[in-house]
Amino acid sequence: MTLSSRGHAFSNVFESLSQDYLQGKEEVLRLSVIALLVGGHILVEDLPGLGKTTVALALAGVTGLTFGRVQCTSDLLPSDITGLSIFNREEGHFSFQPGPIFNNIVLLDEINRAMPRTQSAMLEAMEECRVTIEGITHSLPDPFMVFATQNPSDQSGTFLLPESQLDRFLICTGIGYPAEHLERLIISGGGIRERIDKISPLVSSADILSARRQVQSVYLSDKVISYIHSLVLATRSHDLIITGLSTRAAINLVQAAKAAAYLAGRDYVAPDDVKSIAVPVSAHRLVMRNDMTANGRGGVIRTIIADIALPLV
Amino acid sequence: MIAIKNLATILTYVIALCGMIPIFPWLTMFPRMLLILGLISGLWQDIKGNWQLKPWFQNILITPIFLYYALQYSRTNPIQPVISVLTIMLTVRLSGEKTVRHSKQIYALSIFCLASSSLYDLSPVFLLYLGLLLFMVAIALILLTFQSQDAGMLVTKLDLKRILIFGIMIPVISVPLILFFFPIMPRTQLPLWNFLNPLPSGTSGYSEIVEPGSKSNVSASHSLVFRAEMPRQEDSKLYWRGTVFNFTDGIKWTRTLQIPPENIYSNKSTVNQLIFPEPSAVRTLFSLDRPVTISLQRIKLSPDGVFELSRVGGRRINYSAESNNGGNVTQLNNINRRFYLQLPEQFPTRLKELSSRLIRFGNSDRKRVEYLENFYRLSHLRYSTNNLPIGDRVLDRFLFEIKQGNCEYFASSFALILRSAGIPCRLVGGFFGGEYNKLGGYYLVSEDKAHVWVEAFIEGEGWIRIDPSSFAENSGEVWSKKGSKNLVFRLTLAIDSFNHIWNRSVISYDLEQQISFASQLGSSFRGIQPLKRIWNVIPYIVGCLLITSIYFISKRMSLFNSREQRILNRFLKLIKLKFNISTVESGCGLFEVTSVANCSKVSNFVGIYAAAIYHDRRLTDKEYEKLMKILKDMQS
Repeated sequence: MTLSSRGHAFSNVFESLSQDYLQGKEEVLRLSVIALLVGGHILVEDLPGLGKTTVALALAGVTGLTFGRVQCTSDLLPSDITGLSIFNREEGHFSFQPGPIFNNIVLLDEINRAMPRTQSAMLEAMEECRVTIEGITHSLPDPFMVFATQNPSDQSGTFLLPESQLDRFLICTGIGYPAEHLERLIISGGGIRERIDKISPLVSSADILSARRQVQSVYLSDKVISYIHSLVLATRSHDLIITGLSTRAAINLVQAAKAAAYLAGRDYVAPDDVKSIAVPVSAHRLVMRNDMTANGRGGVIRTIIADIALPLV
Repeated sequence: MIAIKNLATILTYVIALCGMIPIFPWLTMFPRMLLILGLISGLWQDIKGNWQLKPWFQNILITPIFLYYALQYSRTNPIQPVISVLTIMLTVRLSGEKTVRHSKQIYALSIFCLASSSLYDLSPVFLLYLGLLLFMVAIALILLTFQSQDAGMLVTKLDLKRILIFGIMIPVISVPLILFFFPIMPRTQLPLWNFLNPLPSGTSGYSEIVEPGSKSNVSASHSLVFRAEMPRQEDSKLYWRGTVFNFTDGIKWTRTLQIPPENIYSNKSTVNQLIFPEPSAVRTLFSLDRPVTISLQRIKLSPDGVFELSRVGGRRINYSAESNNGGNVTQLNNINRRFYLQLPEQFPTRLKELSSRLIRFGNSDRKRVEYLENFYRLSHLRYSTNNLPIGDRVLDRFLFEIKQGNCEYFASSFALILRSAGIPCRLVGGFFGGEYNKLGGYYLVSEDKAHVWVEAFIEGEGWIRIDPSSFAENSGEVWSKKGSKNLVFRLTLAIDSFNHIWNRSVISYDLEQQISFASQLGSSFRGIQPLKRIWNVIPYIVGCLLITSIYFISKRMSLFNSREQRILNRFLKLIKLKFNISTVESGCGLFEVTSVANCSKVSNFVGIYAAAIYHDRRLTDKEYEKLMKILKDMQS
């Protein structure tokens, strides 16, 4: 029972966010919470001005976590993110100045504008949850979550993230334009940055850590395992796909499905949970035969899902 | 979770036992001991988990034994060495490690052992063992297939249940085919293994000779002589006629080879019987007194109404008989009086006196017989099978001194006196009484029912049956003695009727019945009476329906579906009807259904159902009831 009530607390978090602050962004919020609950990272791929940063800020506000922001440019150095040692003349030695990555939620804005060298430094930090600078290893705070964004339309002067690094993001999703009536509402209401600053935290970081443990203990049925497995196998033998889903992708599918089930207040994974996260978790990891956009990949995943019978008994 | 290997090993032992138990009573001492030792050592090694006896060692060990039995084999003794070798091979495999290959060998050997036990005794129990064996071998082979893929494989209870169901399906599906092929497959008229079964020699109750005074105590076994399918008769008329004794030397009564001709005319209503004798060395065919016809090939009918097999086959036979239950048969022609009046040279004086009293008293045969009957009734004779008179003058002493004897004394003394008084007569040997099995509709006649009575020829009436034993003082209590009708007895009768059906429809089923079955089938197709034809055809229609319904059911599997599948199907149908959501075609999950339907009942249902299903467990009874209730609510 504690489990479902916890799950309830988190669904409260994202309900209050989506209703009071971020209308029309339920899906991206839900996926962010899932990424937070699993300890994964999220890549939001959409046009500027649709509220990517707002979502990240609101998430940090409502969870009471620290927030850091990096605006990526082509001259951004790794040390700009990780921090560096500065000589303190008064004390007579170098002291470490942590960079913006030493926050719970890090927004990497327009990640594809950074040089590959910087990208890989960031992504290594994401994977390892620690940073080594001048021989000293610094652990990143726990919970740690990267909220990266990229702009798909403006391709000049960008460095596309390679597949191996895309694979490190648990979830890759878009935001999309809000529905008409919502957009009117947003326009009339104006920006909400100031209101977001005043959000009082609903959960603490300790809550998040215990919720993560509970997510791990969500029951995963054999039927759902075989469902996920058949999904993975189907991507590997699909005509349009060169490289299908990896085993890590399958593990991530399970993790995200568990978190989705937890958010729905259940202590077991249903195939519906897998379906609900399959596109954001797996689409960006596929290497397609002809260069397809993320949307096209999502369509392929959706057709694959429609072909696989859900285990109902 | 259970390890497949353990399961297969346990099953292997049970299968081996199913093959061993039926053959065990027929084995000699050495294979018996070896079998027990092998079983124990195999079990011990399996429990310990290491196998001391290596296959090569065992092979070397048993080679001399095989040689020994090979030398034992001969035409007169063909079967014992073979079954000994079979059981020793089984022993060897049991005592070694149960690899997949060895297990399969054990199954084959067990089936061979069971099959060879049928050479000795083909009782209905064989069917039980065979059924068990086939069922278990089917399951064991499935398990072995798994084991051969992965020796350490574990199996869940659910999978085990599925394997069990498949294991049952294989033999069950084949049963209708067996029933179908049994009547139509070709078969030989002669038993294949006739020489193997020595005939049960002689019988203790019924004998081909009547000799009162040879033993002081007579005890007869309760072993079965024959069964007679027929409607129930009056107890006092249950005389089963066998043979006729027509010659006496004063003590012994025997049957001569030459029988004077007579003509029999039956004018009474007849009783039809279908008689199934147990195999024995006796040639006489029994039937209710007095038989008119017995229909069986290769039988000999004597003029005095005795039917005999011309050759003793030792196999199960059956025959239909038509009898005149009055026991009296009108004889129009004169008989050979001299033949039936033959007297021995020595004749006890007191019996002689009695017969002369008879002649003086009555002026007709009828009256003389009645006088003698009265004399027997008033003599305070007792019927007994113990303390019988023996030695010289037995009949004299029986009638005037000891006044105690069994049917042989009564009948032979009575017949002797009648002959001496000039009335032609003979002794008839057969059985009296029998237990009626209501379930099977037949009489059971056992050895202890053996009986001897008298047939006297009276001018104008013919041969009349007189049972002198019925004049005994205690005849009432002896003859009307009821068997204990308790539960055990009734159960025995019920088991016997099953035995009878087995003998009738399996063992003694032969070419003739096959032909009659075929002709019956043919005539029923072009029969004249439509109603009768329908009755004949109904069983086949029912059979066909059964087979087709099994086919369709297994196709649809709706009956074999689990409770979960059934309730889900109902739910999905209802959803489609009420909310127009086709789940299966659109690949829609249960929770998606809830969000689309937006109905509390639907979400309740899905909540309970999915919690069970995606926890990998079955629905509990309580949950099931709840779900059914929700479905009902949704329907209304």
